[in-house]
Amino acid sequence: MKKHAFLALMTVAAMIGVACTKDSGSTAPDGGGGAGEVTNIILWQGYGANDLDNQGNPNYEAQSLRELIDEFNAAHPDIHVENTFAGSNDKVLQKLTVALQGGTAPDITYQYGSSLPQLAQAPGIVDLTQVVQDPSWGWDDFIPGARDAATFDGKILGVPALIDDLAIIYNKELFDAAGIGYPTADWTWDDFRAAAKALTDPAKKQFGFAFPVDASEDTVWHYDAMLWEAGGDILTADNSAAAFNSPAGVQALTTLSDMAVTDESVYLDLQNTKIDDLFNSGSIGMVISGPWALSGYPDIDYGVEIMPSYDGVNHETIAGPDMWVVFSNDAAREAAALEFLQWMTAPEQVLKDSMLTGHLPTRLSVPSMPDFAGFNDKFPGVGVFVDNLQNVLKARPNLAAYPQISEAMGQAVVAAMLGDKDPATALADAEQQVNDALALPA
Amino acid sequence: MSYVPIDPGMLRGEIGMVTRPRRRWLPFSPWHLILMPIALIMLTPLWSMVATSLETLPQTRHFPPILWPGDFQWGNYPGTVRAADFGLWFWNTTVVTVSVVASNLLLCSLAGYAFARIRFLGRGVIYMVLLATLMVPLQVVLIPTFLVTKSLGLIDHLGALIVPNLANVFGIFMLTQFFRTLPLELEEAARMDGASRLGILFKIVLPLSMPALTTLAVVQFMWTWNDFLWPLVTLPFNEGAYTIQLGLMNFQGAHTVDWNYVMAGNVMSMMPMLLLFLAAQRWFIRGIATTGLKG
Amino acid sequence: MGRLRRALTSDHFAGWAFVAPSVVLVLIFGLYPIVSGFLLSLQRASLLSPVREFVGAHNYTSILHDEKAKQAAVHALVYTMTFVPISVLGALLLAVALNQKIRLIRFYRLAVFVPVVTSTIATGIMFLWVFDKNFGLANYAFGKIGVGPFGFFESTGGAMPSLVAMTVWGWLGFDVIVYMAALQGIPAELLEAAAMDGASRWRTFRSVTWPLLGPATLLLVVWSSISALQLFDEVYFVTHGGPLGATNVPVFYVFKLAFQQGIGFPLAGYASAIAYVLFVAILMLTLVQFWMGKRVVHYSS
Repeated sequence: MKKHAFLALMTVAAMIGVACTKDSGSTAPDGGGGAGEVTNIILWQGYGANDLDNQGNPNYEAQSLRELIDEFNAAHPDIHVENTFAGSNDKVLQKLTVALQGGTAPDITYQYGSSLPQLAQAPGIVDLTQVVQDPSWGWDDFIPGARDAATFDGKILGVPALIDDLAIIYNKELFDAAGIGYPTADWTWDDFRAAAKALTDPAKKQFGFAFPVDASEDTVWHYDAMLWEAGGDILTADNSAAAFNSPAGVQALTTLSDMAVTDESVYLDLQNTKIDDLFNSGSIGMVISGPWALSGYPDIDYGVEIMPSYDGVNHETIAGPDMWVVFSNDAAREAAALEFLQWMTAPEQVLKDSMLTGHLPTRLSVPSMPDFAGFNDKFPGVGVFVDNLQNVLKARPNLAAYPQISEAMGQAVVAAMLGDKDPATALADAEQQVNDALALPA
Repeated sequence: MSYVPIDPGMLRGEIGMVTRPRRRWLPFSPWHLILMPIALIMLTPLWSMVATSLETLPQTRHFPPILWPGDFQWGNYPGTVRAADFGLWFWNTTVVTVSVVASNLLLCSLAGYAFARIRFLGRGVIYMVLLATLMVPLQVVLIPTFLVTKSLGLIDHLGALIVPNLANVFGIFMLTQFFRTLPLELEEAARMDGASRLGILFKIVLPLSMPALTTLAVVQFMWTWNDFLWPLVTLPFNEGAYTIQLGLMNFQGAHTVDWNYVMAGNVMSMMPMLLLFLAAQRWFIRGIATTGLKG
Repeated sequence: MGRLRRALTSDHFAGWAFVAPSVVLVLIFGLYPIVSGFLLSLQRASLLSPVREFVGAHNYTSILHDEKAKQAAVHALVYTMTFVPISVLGALLLAVALNQKIRLIRFYRLAVFVPVVTSTIATGIMFLWVFDKNFGLANYAFGKIGVGPFGFFESTGGAMPSLVAMTVWGWLGFDVIVYMAALQGIPAELLEAAAMDGASRWRTFRSVTWPLLGPATLLLVVWSSISALQLFDEVYFVTHGGPLGATNVPVFYVFKLAFQQGIGFPLAGYASAIAYVLFVAILMLTLVQFWMGKRVVHYSS
């Protein structure tokens, strides 16, 4: 999931998805079906229409999708996949909502995993639970955290399209200048805090660490990883009540508030728009971010290391998977869409996509494929994120009430980091809100 | 709010001022002590914008802030134009603004003249109903107005910014009031000669109404050019239809810490409005003083 | 034929033909939304779905239990009660000053008037920069006099005062223009007569100028209050209602409910109800202000 990914779900960011329904339907192909005819299916993606972006820079993600789709179309004369750029990934959910209101839908659409609870109610969504049981799909080869995220209410509703996780990205030059050693896999959060403090220089407007404090899901998932490392959890095992207001939860939030309020070593990005640019300009020592961010740091010499632990042992992180979701327009198109999707997410194609874009492979078998060998050289630092996928032990709850849970937790983290509330009070308030939200009938 | 013509002399500082002999306890008027700091405070954001737009990126990150870049980076401006669709946004805004201003001049003149001069069945009631809608601001009826616009299929088209604004009740009200102040004799003479209502409006009334029409035009121009909420709501996906305000917002969002580029874009976005203001200052002043309205 | 001809040339026909285009437009985009918006406020509805469910006054009673709606109302009051006095009294002082015949007066006037034609977004960008916590001019200036640094828009305590400062900057010139027009309307003979009688300048201002500025003051207070209660653009662009809801105001909340969260949930009817409550509140405030104004403001004939 791209950085601002969840923002879209929470705020459902930009205005409403009311592009006239005729627009969304206008590209609908003629149904297809009979023998010898070509079955047209529509695929929505949010990466781009061209191999180059507006500024003329290569858009490898869009290029990769186009090449794979072209390859599939060439090899399958009876199916034509129409590759449609549906606006940024942040807007695909809105656009889909609008299309569904008008009774039309693409056959396949790229969506954030976090949107599944909302999509589960959508008319025409294809339940893949039985489909992917066929051994030819190799379902168990997908990374476990991604498989979990594809499942809502016991049903598999998506096929993993992308996965990433959080780790420390640090500016080597600033560490050298401060005379402190680079982060290691043995670091505890105390080491992290001390380094952030040493890297902070108010006179130079230089900060040791930076954190998104817009109270969005981006705020929350950074905290989630720390909460899990401290041994806590978001909800109780049966998803009936909040569990984050625990000693572990307070410990994790205290780490953040100590750094932000006491040490003032954290750049607090209220709008969550400036961190990447400031890091790339050498004003920030460390960020915690995902592999997608690396391409935004061309100007500095950075290193990547897994997140610190509390006890020196338990390293965890969090994954944000994206999904391909299938909608049924008619039997022929549904069958064609599934055929394409199975091909698209097979190991060979996952490998090709990773090698061109630097995406972490969604399948466990891919890193051991011979052609994957050059990956770490081509995408320095991404290897740490690949290995770090083993530290994805937990997933956020897939619940219809998740947006309210996220909002309450986001407010708590921000209140503590701005110094408006102490961590314990902030979490207690959020716990109350979450329990109220969970108590409401679905 | 009746129409009170304001003498442009007000701007030149000649009228309405009291001159009296006074003893001097300073070598300059004490009013400077109030006006100079306030003027500087008012100009600071503008100055800071222009200065930043001509700085290098490292200069923008300097603290204390640099207010005189020394080596002016004029290249920031072409750089900004290359980085985003400023040309398209200006074009869209111009299309919308010109259409809306032209249409308002025409439609408000027609309606204003009818309300001022023609006795027709239902005139009083219709006039009151129109005025009543002025009481309800867009913010209150944003959702239903949006739904009407949506049902007309205008969402994501420039038409969404034009069609609902073709005739402004405020313009009708203002012109009605103004037309009522014009002498009747000329019109009556023309009617005797068999001139049609339309002929009278265009040949006699409108030429006499240039001050009111100009005022309406500049005020409507300002409202439309600077409008934000309505374009924000009605152009959700189509970046090709963005106005300069929406485009500027997106540009700022995409270049949050490239303050030199953001400020260059900001300066460019303000230019047309600023030039128009400097050229037609007294009409703006008159418009605001008489309408008592800001966008 | 004669009859039709007479009808076509009659004043009734001409009048209706002249007003018809405007009337049709206002009916569609002005009047109809007012009525349908009220109906919407009685329904459970989403902007996307044609399905509507009539719920009576339920949306209105829900507001009473909505903490965020209450928070927005409080913020609107706080904002209005600071913004209006500061901008109106500031404008009065400035208008008197700008009415003097002194050197540089055209420069001073320009400095005060230019923000009036500056758009909200442009203003917002400038103030985000001047009020930037780390690199902004404001913190540099405050540092010089030994206070700060402040978080401005980025702190829960500073966001609202910063909004007031920014909007006063944008509005001041507008109020000044209205006041200057009113000052200009004061007959010079009156002031001269007062001066002849030996009244001090302050006394002349108190007993002659200020009462004559009554209508302008009333207009500005009413108009600024209406605008202040509808604050939206600045909040949407600069603070997003934050941090932590510190600048959540009614129109912003309505917008969020209808156009953002309403995607997944049918909140357009509820949002509409809040909008109508706001409208009634504004209307009441306006009436009260006019009623109080009538008792203290003297309209000269």
